[in-house]
Amino acid sequence: MAQVISTEKIYAAEAVRPSSWTSYLPAILAIVGSLGMLLLRIEIGQRFISDGALMMIALACYIFAALFQLTNLYAPSEMARKIGLWSAALGVFFNLSSWLVRWVGAYDWEIAKMRASGNMEQPWVFRYIPFANLYDLSLAFAFGAGIATLLLARRRNFQVLAAFTLPLAALILTLARFIGGEFIDLPPVLDSYWRPIHVGVASLSYGVALVCFAIAVIYLLKDKAKVEAMAIWSSVFGLAVIATISKFSVLTELIYRSGIFLPNDGGGKPFSAPFRLEVPWVGEALVIAAILLLGVIVSFLVYIYQQNETARSVGHALLKLSLVAQVVAIALLIGGIRGMGDVPAKLTSQLAADPSQYVTAGRALAERQQLSAAEYAALSPIQLEQMGRQYVQMNGERLYLSLNTNPVEVAGLLTALAGTFFVILFAFRTDKLRERLPSLKSLDGLMYKTACLAFAGLAMLLITGAIWANESWGRPWGFDSKETGALVAWLTYAGFLHTRISRGWTGRSSAYFAIVGFLLVIFTYLGVSYLLPGLHSYA
Amino acid sequence: MSAVKDTFEAKVLAKSSAKPVLNRSVDFLSSVRFGVFLLIILVILSIVGMVIIQQNVQGFDSYFASLTPAERTVYGSLGLFDIYHSWYYNFLLLILSLNIILASIDRFPTAWSYLVSPKVKATKDWLLNQKAHSSITLTADTEADAAEKIKALFESDRYKTVITESKTTEYGQNADGKKDFSNVITRRQLTVFGEAGKYNRLGAYIVHVALLTLFIGHFVALQSGFDADVRMIPGDESDQIQMIQFNLDKRERFNVQLPFSIKTTDIQQKLIDPKGSIDVPNTLDWRTQIKITDPEYGETVADVSLNKPFSYRGYRFFQASAITMGSARNIDLQLTSQADGSQKQLSIPRNGAASLPDGTYVEYEEFLPDFVFGAEGKPDTRSGEYNNPVAVLGVTPPGGERTRVFAFAGNIAENIPVGAPKLGYKWRLADYEKSPFAHVLSIKYDPYNGAFIAWYFGGIGLMAALVFVFAFSHRRVWAVIEPNQFGSYAATIGGDTNRNDAAFEERFAKMIDKLEK
Repeated sequence: MAQVISTEKIYAAEAVRPSSWTSYLPAILAIVGSLGMLLLRIEIGQRFISDGALMMIALACYIFAALFQLTNLYAPSEMARKIGLWSAALGVFFNLSSWLVRWVGAYDWEIAKMRASGNMEQPWVFRYIPFANLYDLSLAFAFGAGIATLLLARRRNFQVLAAFTLPLAALILTLARFIGGEFIDLPPVLDSYWRPIHVGVASLSYGVALVCFAIAVIYLLKDKAKVEAMAIWSSVFGLAVIATISKFSVLTELIYRSGIFLPNDGGGKPFSAPFRLEVPWVGEALVIAAILLLGVIVSFLVYIYQQNETARSVGHALLKLSLVAQVVAIALLIGGIRGMGDVPAKLTSQLAADPSQYVTAGRALAERQQLSAAEYAALSPIQLEQMGRQYVQMNGERLYLSLNTNPVEVAGLLTALAGTFFVILFAFRTDKLRERLPSLKSLDGLMYKTACLAFAGLAMLLITGAIWANESWGRPWGFDSKETGALVAWLTYAGFLHTRISRGWTGRSSAYFAIVGFLLVIFTYLGVSYLLPGLHSYA
Repeated sequence: MSAVKDTFEAKVLAKSSAKPVLNRSVDFLSSVRFGVFLLIILVILSIVGMVIIQQNVQGFDSYFASLTPAERTVYGSLGLFDIYHSWYYNFLLLILSLNIILASIDRFPTAWSYLVSPKVKATKDWLLNQKAHSSITLTADTEADAAEKIKALFESDRYKTVITESKTTEYGQNADGKKDFSNVITRRQLTVFGEAGKYNRLGAYIVHVALLTLFIGHFVALQSGFDADVRMIPGDESDQIQMIQFNLDKRERFNVQLPFSIKTTDIQQKLIDPKGSIDVPNTLDWRTQIKITDPEYGETVADVSLNKPFSYRGYRFFQASAITMGSARNIDLQLTSQADGSQKQLSIPRNGAASLPDGTYVEYEEFLPDFVFGAEGKPDTRSGEYNNPVAVLGVTPPGGERTRVFAFAGNIAENIPVGAPKLGYKWRLADYEKSPFAHVLSIKYDPYNGAFIAWYFGGIGLMAALVFVFAFSHRRVWAVIEPNQFGSYAATIGGDTNRNDAAFEERFAKMIDKLEK
């Protein structure tokens, strides 16, 4: 009979023991609990808490959880860790509850309309699954990121990930808040069983890509990437946001103009007016922020390429000032939009000072009419101005401002602010922070796993979309902007995986690929919907 | 640069330049590095196609009109308005396919060797160089007993195992501690080999085969088939469909002959609010009923609904759009007798007819949603909206002549000819089921089912292959068992995997822990 006397072990892996089933408890409880909320919504009816309120609670939980995980990172505490973990679980619970409650809400909303008009038809329940527009997708996207974080957090050394992923999930929910959660009349082509499959896969794979991105950032931080280099990239992003919002008017005219809404008489989502209205002082504050961000970039470039310590100190001071300037600009924007009274009068006086805005608005109106190239070219500036003036005459008195008119702009500014904040945070006791992050090897392994999942998820997204398109209109692939965007992101993750084989690119090189891949995912998710025309413009 | 590195690179260069040009070209074409380069070019071109609005995308006309003549000339000559159908984009896909094929052929023999000739033997030194390894001392009656214990351990972790006996040869040492080549020592060694998930080595090839199936199927569908539209007006029959080709801001239309004729027998628009508009937001579904008359196969009746296409002889019929000029699928008439004031109800489908009890024959002739007298004083419609709907009927009394009658939904003065009672009745349009003037079906001809093969075999195959690739890995473990000087046995255990090292090392540690317990 054989018997072991001694063992001598050398494992390359960290001494991490697999955790028991109880480590899945936060994720399980979050999902089971939200199913309970669904049942309660069905039982109680419309008196139950709204999906919008649940979404806001989820947003608060994500921020709360991230704060406690950050606290645990800088000042390790078992209590902070536990609060962080269970707040994250609560965030996922409220996030999923919001999405499920919205499903019932959408059903009630349309059925009420049908019954009021005497239509007794009973459409199938999947018609109302909340995958109808960008608001719904954002809820699901944040849930995808939240549940992926919870599943990874079953290992204690990966719980720190929540400090990086949950702020991103919170930003997505903030974007959803600004998009607005009004129910929409579902475009009939979306009434297919492929929709939950296709969009469900999209939201989960986007969520995994977000986690992969967060791991890549942590990897760079652990790998002693200079915080100053990160500050340059976050400042470039901030500058790009400031330069492009308000149709490029901030840096060219020192003015920020907000979009305007026209109420929808049908009770649905309001219409965007073809005009924008100046919000006082926001342009000036954003220009100051832009100048400071530019100063950050220059100072840190000098530091990196000339090892100039003075430039480094100046750069950090400018970075902190830019954070203050961004906070002030966002506060002025929110306060300005909320406090703006008598929009019609202000718009009229703005247009009187600059009548060329009528022509711009007329052009936007002409584009909405889908005129042919010849018809469009035949429109004279006078005709365009006339179209703009007619619009103001007909609708001017009903126009109003809302934060929801510019969801991508507000979310872009908040993301830039969060980027600056995190870089300042990373610059604080950086070495201590690095010590407490998981090892490079385990981060690289996790990054690879999540990239594989994101790659497989995006492949499924593309294929289910193509099969749906083939079933619905016989054209599986048409190089629609969103299709192409998802293809480009998928190809980037393919590049991630293949460069690991061909060039042995692991670690930092892989991290750069993961970051580019996620940026392309975000471009597909937002940029395509708001900037480019195509079949997916509703989502 | 160090001398060692210099020498190494010089050797590599000498080796590669010694190869014939053809071999070097094939090596280059089959390299993963070249594949990654192609992927990057593909990504850049695809992004260009997203930023520059393509000619088949809605909104292209106004975008095209907004460009300067110079921009139009430059973009047009570079094919940027239709980049995804440009020769260079297709060429890139072709080269990428070639790269996938060549890279797969180049690497397949290595992968296949893992399946057919697994490495069942290992040396102690080699195992100690593996990332995950362990040295164990165990007592056993015989070396075979020790090997059996290790084998059981491997099998408990789902490895398929094999024990191989081999002889190792080494040289003894002389008094100076140097190798004594005259002293050859031959030892007997038992190696326990275990492996799991070896077919995962083929995963990447299955992924690439699926991807190529997808490319080829899609290419065949594009080359052998076409897309066309056909307007479906109830009662109309046609054996031709209209194909549209985009040429910048112009649309060229061609008629295509079908081997059968299609007749529209009914169109229906299911509305959320039946009294609301027939616009898209108020729509649940469009349904078109068609009758196909085929000289070869006779008559076929089918329904085409949104998301529920109909296939027939390589042609697939899809709901595409509707001509939203208001019409009625069905009308309910209320007739008030001039003689006794009694009322009668009559329901008539579009293009249909019904009879009154007295034998009066009533035909549905036309529906005008927004009645107006035209320029020549003839009844017409002002718009497609249901502002002043009227059903135009052909009424033939028993033994009488066919007379045109107007049944209005709203009130109309009886002292004007169109509103006056006719043939003994006051005619009123009591209700009607809204439907558009016509549906437009999109017809896709795909004689070889290329799209189906591409996306169901290639696409779903790709998804399955990716799950196959990423869900598990090829794990291998070896244990070399040797007797030691204390009468017990030393087992050197090591292992490797082709994917997910961290998880493998964790599992390996767990397995060794089990042995300790």
